[in-house]
Amino acid sequence: MEVEIDEKELKAAGAEPLTDGRRGLRIHGWEIETLKCSILNSSNLQLFEERLQTSHLPEMVFGESSLVLKHVKSGTKIHFNAFDALVGWKQEALPPVEVPAAAKWKFRSKPSEQVILDYDYTFTTPYHGSETIEVDTGKCGKGEISQKRCNLLWEDCEEKIDVGSLASKEPILFYDEVVLYEDELADNGVSLLTVKVLRVDGVLMRLRDTRMHCVFGVSANPIILREISWREATFEALSAKGHPSDSAAYSDPSIISQRLPIIMHKTQKLEVPDNL
Amino acid sequence: MSDLDRQIEQLKKCEPLKESEVKALCLKAMEILVEESNVQRVDAPVTICGDIHGQFYDMKELFKVGGDCPKTNYLFLGDFVDRGFYSVETFLLLLALKVRYPDRITLIRGNHESRQITQVYGFYDECLRKYGSVNVWRYCTDIFDYLSLSALIENRIFSVHGGLSPAISTLDQIRTIDRKQEVPHDGAMCDLLWSDPEDIVDGWGLSPRGAGFLFGGSVVTSFNHSNNIDYICRAHQLVMEGYKWMFNNQIVTVWSAPNYCYRCGNVAAILELDENLNKQFRVFDAAPQETRGAPAKKPAPDYFL
Repeated sequence: MEVEIDEKELKAAGAEPLTDGRRGLRIHGWEIETLKCSILNSSNLQLFEERLQTSHLPEMVFGESSLVLKHVKSGTKIHFNAFDALVGWKQEALPPVEVPAAAKWKFRSKPSEQVILDYDYTFTTPYHGSETIEVDTGKCGKGEISQKRCNLLWEDCEEKIDVGSLASKEPILFYDEVVLYEDELADNGVSLLTVKVLRVDGVLMRLRDTRMHCVFGVSANPIILREISWREATFEALSAKGHPSDSAAYSDPSIISQRLPIIMHKTQKLEVPDNL
Repeated sequence: MSDLDRQIEQLKKCEPLKESEVKALCLKAMEILVEESNVQRVDAPVTICGDIHGQFYDMKELFKVGGDCPKTNYLFLGDFVDRGFYSVETFLLLLALKVRYPDRITLIRGNHESRQITQVYGFYDECLRKYGSVNVWRYCTDIFDYLSLSALIENRIFSVHGGLSPAISTLDQIRTIDRKQEVPHDGAMCDLLWSDPEDIVDGWGLSPRGAGFLFGGSVVTSFNHSNNIDYICRAHQLVMEGYKWMFNNQIVTVWSAPNYCYRCGNVAAILELDENLNKQFRVFDAAPQETRGAPAKKPAPDYFL
């Protein structure tokens, strides 16, 4: 998808596009950048398998793609990438969702002759971003940058993202969509990690959604609100409520999100430190 | 110029046929396909192609690289439809070529050549959008039931969309399947279209997602040995490099949809076999953006508030 940025609107908002072919913009001390690359080739895929200690990865892993939100002054970097998301999948290790076909299969096959692979093939992850602090150690002019992984101090809070202010008709300065991984669930459904939409046809729909919001220019140090919500329902439960139970009715994530009950929700706040 | 030749020219421009023409074409195709064996014999030289998935303009690149039919003989391993924008034109062009040059092109069935799968992954919607009714989808899915399940090149190379089945140890067992039906949820016919080779299992593995079996190297060794074949050529799985050998060159995956779903960035490949069965893989890229029809531009954010 092409990203179109209106230069005039950017200027009016005090923002500028990133240069050198990078996709994204600088605004209020932040750099917002997306990197979109091909799926991993076989040797890099193998590297991922070794590092994650697994032999199962999604069919399409966009291992070098990412979304990066960087607060330039403090070096605070919040970013999203496939590897860290898959680390989360590996750790959570949900039991496999059984598709209707698989349930039938177990009856006809003799387990003694076969290995039944037991892993969460939907690749569901609790991942809500990675955090790094970039410290400029190149004081002698070389400009080398060292990165260290860190845990920023997110605090649970009561505030909510002001959706009303987002709905106001301001121009959208930058919009992009980065797929980190995707799997066709061997044609039993779709799993996609961008907005974390998941559907296993005939069984389950699961949607894990993380949103971050930062109001520019209100306080000296930027404050970021993060809302994490998990929604989930079986097709059975949906049809009991009178919603359609065929998969074709659920190709649009917005419709999915309206119909799925929330099973976990939390809001957190981060005050980005001034300087580290 | 015959009607059929005119239709082929039209389809080569990515213009779909009229509904009545599709109906007539499918009837003719049915007469040809019904005579084919479940293990269709194919002579060398032949060029083997994997999944296409409605990427019409990329299939035109394939013909540029591999040569036009009937100058080059082709074997397509299924998954003609779904995912891409032009499943209708892609499948009809291949079918028209089949009717025009029945001995020059062989089409076998993939797991997407199914009523159930096409309703979820695009072909059904595309037919409805392009024709305003589901008739064309019905004609095409009826033809799917007649597509052969596998091919045997010069008695030496076995070709199938997915892979092997624990219910099948000889080619004769495949020959006895009654294939003229929707792809079943289990059994030999399902497995041939759905299974995958897998490094980490030695014998048979069952995936938790229940789609076909996983089979290991020893299964392939014994199948190849007992059927006296050199290797298996299959499609079904996306490979970044276009093709991939496994188990000491006993099975190869060929994938022919470059930049799959218009965003994976993978290359595609076809396997050319000359009259002595010497192999040459030809790797190719997706068609340049300006040569394809409708741009893939999406409007603003769809899921946000």
